Amino acid sequence: MNENRRQILEMLVAGKITADEADRLLAALEPAPATTQFSGRIPGAGSSPGGPVKTNARYLRVLVEADESMTGMKGPTTVNVRVPMQLLRAGVRLASLIPKQAHDQLDEALNRHGVPLTLSQIKPENLEELIDHLEDLTVDVDGKEGNGTRVKVFCE
Amino acid sequence: MTPNIAIVHIETPHWHSIPLWIPLFLLWIPAIILSPLIFFVIFGLAVAGKINPWRAFRVLWDLVCALPGTHVRVTADDANVRVQIL
Repeated sequence: MNENRRQILEMLVAGKITADEADRLLAALEPAPATTQFSGRIPGAGSSPGGPVKTNARYLRVLVEADESMTGMKGPTTVNVRVPMQLLRAGVRLASLIPKQAHDQLDEALNRHGVPLTLSQIKPENLEELIDHLEDLTVDVDGKEGNGTRVKVFCE
Repeated sequence: MTPNIAIVHIETPHWHSIPLWIPLFLLWIPAIILSPLIFFVIFGLAVAGKINPWRAFRVLWDLVCALPGTHVRVTADDANVRVQIL
């Protein structure tokens, strides 16, 4: 429960506001649904297609921490990257400009390296849904014992 | 909005730079001067790649305009490099 919601409920319990006022305040706290709806579907995406899309996350964060055994440097190395979601959108649109032959080669190379991703399936029409699903994405990678690398990817 | 300023900050154990504000908006001057050349290069590449040139312009423009807000920070060997685009 977030702080605002708790305050509203405490005010209701204390009798400072009525139930109707509390209801209105709680409704105001809810994020407004986006007006656009998308019918595209991302393979592997969990939620139902065609539902309202909310894109609250503004940045994709990538944090990498590696200790000296990995980098050969003194002390740990950290990389902290914050990328605006808008840049991701532009990047996907840029990928849509790649000619088909290059797409096929990229897909083949990705498959060869164990990444079963078909870039040509990422189209501008399902881009918003893809970004929306990124909001719920958190990837934590911890290296094995002795391999002190930690990667964290999340949206904020 | 196009990126206007880049802030670069470098810190090492022996040297601390002041945050360096790079006025990216000044790049508009060479960009405008070179715009005919840039236009023909992008147009030529797009036509060669069988891509709609206007779409290519649009995507590249979107890419440039999406840069503000990018923040990269690398810390290694007690050195710290921070790049921020505003």
